[in-house]
Amino acid sequence: MGPQHWMYTIPLRLRSLFRRRRVEQELNEELQFHLEQKIEEGIAKGLHPKEARYAAMRAMDGLEQRKEEMRDTRRIHWLTDFFDDAGFAMRSLNRTPGLAAFVVITLALGVGMTSAIFSIVDATIFRPYPVPHPSGVVTLVSTTRDSSFDDFSYREYLDIRSETKSYDGVIANADMEAVGFSAAPAATPRIKGGMLVSGNYFHALGVEPRVGRGFREDEDQVPGRDAVVVLGPDFWKHEFASDAGVVGRTIRLNGTEFTVIGVAPESFPGMLIFGHPDFYMPLAMARTFSTNRQKNFFEDRDDRELNVSARLKPGTTLQQAQNELAVLAKNFEREYPKVNRSRGAAVHTQFEIRTRGDDVNWKFGVIFMILALAVLLVACTNVAGLLLSRARTRTREIAVRLAIGAGRFRLIRLLLTESLILASLGGLAGIAIGYGVVEWFHTYQNVIFMTDLPLSIPFRMDTRALLASLVLSVLSALLCGLAPALQSTRVDLVNGLKSADVDVPDRKRLWGRNVLVVAQVATSLMLLTASFLMVRGFQHGVLEGNGFAKDHLLMASFDPRLVQYNVAQTQQFYKLLAERVREAPGVQGEALTQNVPLGQEDFDGVAFVPDDFQMPRDRENFNSTMDTVDQGYFETMGIPILRGRGFLASDTAEAPRVAIVNEQFAKHYWPGEDAVGRHIRLDSPTGTPVEIVGVAQTIKYQDASEKAADFVYMPLAQHPVARMALMLRSSGDPLQLVQPVKDIVRTLDPNLPMLHTMSYEDFYLNQAVRGPQIAIDLVGSMGVVGLLLTIAGLYGLVTYNVSRRTREIGIRIALGAASSDVLRLVMGKGLVLVGMGTVIGLAMGFAVEQLMNSMLFNAGGVDILAYVIVVPSLFLVTMLAVYVPARRASRIAPTQALRYE
Amino acid sequence: MYHTLGNRGERVSKPSDLVQGTLDLLLLKILALQPMNGWAISLRLKSISGDVLQVSEGSLYPALHKLEQEGWITAEWKQTENNRRAKFYSLTRLGRQHLEKEAANWSRLSTAISHVVRLEEA
Repeated sequence: MGPQHWMYTIPLRLRSLFRRRRVEQELNEELQFHLEQKIEEGIAKGLHPKEARYAAMRAMDGLEQRKEEMRDTRRIHWLTDFFDDAGFAMRSLNRTPGLAAFVVITLALGVGMTSAIFSIVDATIFRPYPVPHPSGVVTLVSTTRDSSFDDFSYREYLDIRSETKSYDGVIANADMEAVGFSAAPAATPRIKGGMLVSGNYFHALGVEPRVGRGFREDEDQVPGRDAVVVLGPDFWKHEFASDAGVVGRTIRLNGTEFTVIGVAPESFPGMLIFGHPDFYMPLAMARTFSTNRQKNFFEDRDDRELNVSARLKPGTTLQQAQNELAVLAKNFEREYPKVNRSRGAAVHTQFEIRTRGDDVNWKFGVIFMILALAVLLVACTNVAGLLLSRARTRTREIAVRLAIGAGRFRLIRLLLTESLILASLGGLAGIAIGYGVVEWFHTYQNVIFMTDLPLSIPFRMDTRALLASLVLSVLSALLCGLAPALQSTRVDLVNGLKSADVDVPDRKRLWGRNVLVVAQVATSLMLLTASFLMVRGFQHGVLEGNGFAKDHLLMASFDPRLVQYNVAQTQQFYKLLAERVREAPGVQGEALTQNVPLGQEDFDGVAFVPDDFQMPRDRENFNSTMDTVDQGYFETMGIPILRGRGFLASDTAEAPRVAIVNEQFAKHYWPGEDAVGRHIRLDSPTGTPVEIVGVAQTIKYQDASEKAADFVYMPLAQHPVARMALMLRSSGDPLQLVQPVKDIVRTLDPNLPMLHTMSYEDFYLNQAVRGPQIAIDLVGSMGVVGLLLTIAGLYGLVTYNVSRRTREIGIRIALGAASSDVLRLVMGKGLVLVGMGTVIGLAMGFAVEQLMNSMLFNAGGVDILAYVIVVPSLFLVTMLAVYVPARRASRIAPTQALRYE
Repeated sequence: MYHTLGNRGERVSKPSDLVQGTLDLLLLKILALQPMNGWAISLRLKSISGDVLQVSEGSLYPALHKLEQEGWITAEWKQTENNRRAKFYSLTRLGRQHLEKEAANWSRLSTAISHVVRLEEA
């Protein structure tokens, strides 16, 4: 069957399809012509016209069958049959518009929820890198006892690059960071997101610049020599109005002049999930940007700030690359025991790196997905139940069809077409709902990302999400249509036709419906439990308090690197700033901190060896998160110092190094003893000694639902940091302090921008309350939808049962049954089903709680309150759904019921 | 009889006296000589094959339609000699190729079979 063949057949098929009436007419005409000729021939032979006609018909050997055979040759039956079925289904659905609408809405909710959540899971886990052949890109990580996903240092990266053979290009990038950008020298810098990348970054990824060129290898070789920059597509569009003439122009980044050499293409918004860098700079320019000031980026092998990725050579397996890297890591360990002790390395695929254990976003996605699928399942079982009871009332019709020779498969197809139509309509409406939900996600953009960096919500209803909705719709059509179709075509013909009672269900059939109800009750119990736990999980942290005061605080950030301050100038600036704002009217307290509590940036880490502590043999040092603060911090933030003292003005750069640890830290390393007066040594047992002068109360640092963690504070004077946040306690509205602070900053340096200026309470509410609210709302609405569907399903089942048993109930009442007896009779069954569903749902609820605790929240054990509230309310509500129709049954008038039919 | 009722895909009766596929060959050959309508084809079939090959008029049209849908023959509505509209079939280029192939196959097959038959007689 070559293309030549199709040249003939395709027009024919199309003609049969679209000119169906014409083709039919021609078929009739052709046969008619033959018959007429035949009749004429018969008459000519001397037959009576009537007889000639009979003879002609006889010779055709069954005219209608012949016609069917001829239609079969057109080979479009599967399609025309489908249209016939679809037409039939539409008509029959049109007869029960209420039911059809209910089914469509039900499925739409299920499919919509699921496809919206698919967009989350896709963005956080599955969506391939926006580069050619994305599956070949792997990520290399350094591994330690504490972290399976550590970064590499510049030196390590160079070694990996030169000593591995598994890859077509090994690339490195630092995290996207805040960079002060100005297009002209005089303009005040604005904060943009820049990313340091290796010279081969674009080339190895296979990304061709939109205009200009990518980096040359030699532009990333000499530290500080080549100040060149490649712009990101969005930035180019918004900042330079997509002007191709930008190539060759000079822009200022952190005060240094950079030459624009190219623009990344539209198709490459960057390799990150949330971030889209505004521009890329070569690693060799690292000193202009915020690399660790305590270390030498280009020399120190333990200044690990680089993410390393690589493109696997075709034919090289992950395992081979893994083995090669493991050998290299062993070499590192041998050659540099001081900084590489018990440090390994691993190669990960995109999937592995996206689903890393220390990242929480994808876990939320997965939990949401499980819950959304549960909603879809409830929706499908509901629809299956409805179609099943509909099929019951059609038993007679189906029996007749079977009796006059319809094949069972053909009937199943007919019934499945019906559910396919319902599911398609539901799917379409579901896609609309999905769009709505994704749009709703996007309204949280400014809540989730309160930052100057180019971060955005990556959830989209793209082709992948649409495809997912399509698959879900078809699957749900099968799921909710197949069982009813199979069951209703398994009709006992004799009974089906004979019985006056249209509906003679046997035990087995009712069993199927009962299973559906039990599954629904169980699933919605699980959903409700999950939403309740989600609320509780987030509230836990909020209600428990965070250990510091949040109200009446103004925050503003500064980064003197933007105006090219060196370390001494930076220190001087903060010193003057603190002194002057303290004097300002309305200011009750002042604090400087590297990170605001519960902020969006990660805390720095500190490696240390505690005094008088038996180090495990295989450990060089311990790690803790840390913050750099000034002397006003503890008082202004309302964090109590439990022992010892806070930082003092006397803790200067020249004075002995001091630190404050939190209670958790003190308990961890010196349980039952006083930590004040002890020392920790930085990095190694021979490192700089730092005296612990105070113990502060443990607060929430990164996240309102976190577990108590070790924490170290260092004084700004002894631990210089460039980017700091100023926190001011006000007597009145904190925003009234904005102008006075601005004035003070202007007197210090008119070019220095104030970043992130806002009320801390607002910031906190967004971070800790409004952000989590998305998750709460999402899971909560899934719980509500699940519950509503379950109520509807249960109500439908009992109503159906009652209508089926109307006569029986009538007889019972006529024979003297009290209405309470009838009530018991009808409700008893529902009670059993709800009870069974509750038990199973409880088990599922516990399982989901385990899962959520292990993945999202640090809560252990079982949240009894959740079950105490959820189980009885679910039970009550579902019993109500049973009670209403049962009550109606108990009022059946026997005279009426017996006359029924 | 009952089991076939309503199943569209199944042939109710087959041209049992004809080797499978030979009807196609016959029709293609007849049409190769000149375009013809269905009635004329049925007369021609009868006259050339006599009583040896019984082709029911009923199975003629499905067979013609199959050939048409395969793209081997094409149809055209034309006037007959006595001014009636009828559907005339003629061979396409693809049909001619197919006929050549099938005819070659057939003669190979029949030669082989008659050869075998003669062998037995000897």
